Amino acid sequence: MLILLAIVALYVGVYDFNGTSPFTILGQLIQGDPDLALSDKYVIWDVRAARIIMAILIGSMLAVSGTGLQGLFKNPLATGDLIGLTSGATLLAAIAIVLGGHFREFLPEAVQFSLVGISAFIGALVAMLLVYRISTSSGKTNVVMMLLSGVAITAIGFSITGFLIYISKDEQLRDLTFWNMGSLAAATWTKNIVLTVVLIISYIILLPKGKALNAMMLGEKDAQHLGINVERLKKQIVVIVALMIGTCVAFSGTIGFVGLIVPYILRLLFKSNYSFILPLSAIFGSILLLAADTISRSIVAPSELPIGILTALMGGPIFIAILIKFKKSL
Amino acid sequence: MIKADHIVYKHKEFRILDEVSVSLEKSEFLAIVGPNGAGKSSLLSVLANEVRQGKQNILFKDKQISEWDVRELSLHKSKFSQHNSNEIPLQVKDVVMMGRYPYFESQPRQEDHEAMNKMMYETDIYHLKDRDYNTLSGGEKQRVHLSRVMAQLDNAIDHKLVFLDEPLNNLDVKHQYKALEIIRKFTHQENSAIVVLHDLNLAAQFADKILLMKSGKVAAYGTPEKVFTAENISDAYNFPCTICEHPVNANPMIIFG
Repeated sequence: MLILLAIVALYVGVYDFNGTSPFTILGQLIQGDPDLALSDKYVIWDVRAARIIMAILIGSMLAVSGTGLQGLFKNPLATGDLIGLTSGATLLAAIAIVLGGHFREFLPEAVQFSLVGISAFIGALVAMLLVYRISTSSGKTNVVMMLLSGVAITAIGFSITGFLIYISKDEQLRDLTFWNMGSLAAATWTKNIVLTVVLIISYIILLPKGKALNAMMLGEKDAQHLGINVERLKKQIVVIVALMIGTCVAFSGTIGFVGLIVPYILRLLFKSNYSFILPLSAIFGSILLLAADTISRSIVAPSELPIGILTALMGGPIFIAILIKFKKSL
Repeated sequence: MIKADHIVYKHKEFRILDEVSVSLEKSEFLAIVGPNGAGKSSLLSVLANEVRQGKQNILFKDKQISEWDVRELSLHKSKFSQHNSNEIPLQVKDVVMMGRYPYFESQPRQEDHEAMNKMMYETDIYHLKDRDYNTLSGGEKQRVHLSRVMAQLDNAIDHKLVFLDEPLNNLDVKHQYKALEIIRKFTHQENSAIVVLHDLNLAAQFADKILLMKSGKVAAYGTPEKVFTAENISDAYNFPCTICEHPVNANPMIIFG
């Protein structure tokens, strides 16, 4: 299904290839055909294919980070954007852009990328630790505290980011606006390679944790009796989730609700069995974001809709549905 | 098997457990009894390596229990908690399968399914296996967790130990007896059990040894005949009682009032 969607996404676009199919061009490209027009090559390979791959990578990581957080907090409302991790990451990324801009010309490109990326990771990690400390005592999470501390962090992030926008220069302003809106338009192959590396490292550690997250539903002490090292598990999830969210924010800005929508749909099908929903959210996250991105760049062609609008449109009602379902237990 | 020496467990300055020593041999069924707040559950938690406070001297199979590898330990002992989670959005069979988590990596093997099914039959929940755990009654949930905890110890290792904290809560008479029979059968296979019980008569009937606790201290320890004397019981519970011989099985029978 994902492959099918990727093929469709390759077809959809504003650029006109003079009647030839994008596939023929991709085929020509792979065979190294010298007759291929440079502009065709650029659109297919550097713009469209890079963007599709980025949507797949980012969507997958956002969904998995949401599922992992929900396992850690034992609640389907825990996602990076709702509990403030995304804001924390955005805030530090914004600081890195504005302050880093002053000595930008002295740094090579790779360092510039990683400066924003590392800042976003630290921002997500700090926000995560803060939320966890505030909302969790002796292994039990207070859902209201968790969401409210997210609101607080988002408010702080919003005000400081606003201040940064006020003092920033024109070029930085464009970067900052992009961050707040969330977009996959800046996809490049360099970014995709970094994302792939982060994804592989994260999944090697996180995806086999399905059983452990199930056991956590019994409570931390009982999980320990089942031979699970609970403290280590929690630390791993905290760091890996912060890493994934930080990386996603650094490369695509804040794309909300993916971590909420995907696990919600999977829960309808597989209950809360993390052995299934953790690996499946990796795939369904890709499908969701790729579909959303394809729609967002074709629905108002030749212009483009910010992708966050579409994901929020889906995520908002699901957020409300979860709230209604858990009305009694909140 | 397990040997604990002068355990002290404090909350602030209050001693919940005050110099408690316990020792248990293989094939023994130890019942911990006592009034509310006597420290029964705390003792069980400390013994099961659930809470760690300072240096406790607890030897499990001749090795400090805190030095055991968590995964390895889960094959030798399991624990049934008093407060089981009410909300687990999974099916009954998924919850019981958790007991087999220490044994497989990603997918349960044939023997894991067998162990799970066997315990579900014994605890009489097999017909509930496809139900949502959240829709069960309190007693049924207790049986699901009993099944899970016992399935965890279905392996070839000798001399295993199970901790159960009030496993009979919410159970009807038939299932109270069934649960205790499962535990007794387990101890007859050279394993041991430490069980917190409230029903003294059931404790007298099933347990090999009784540990009577009062305000964090051991009030009496020994066989049911030795511990269950009118003096010991009325002293510990602060309530008058009479002891007579059980007309059917000749165990001590405690009648309060």
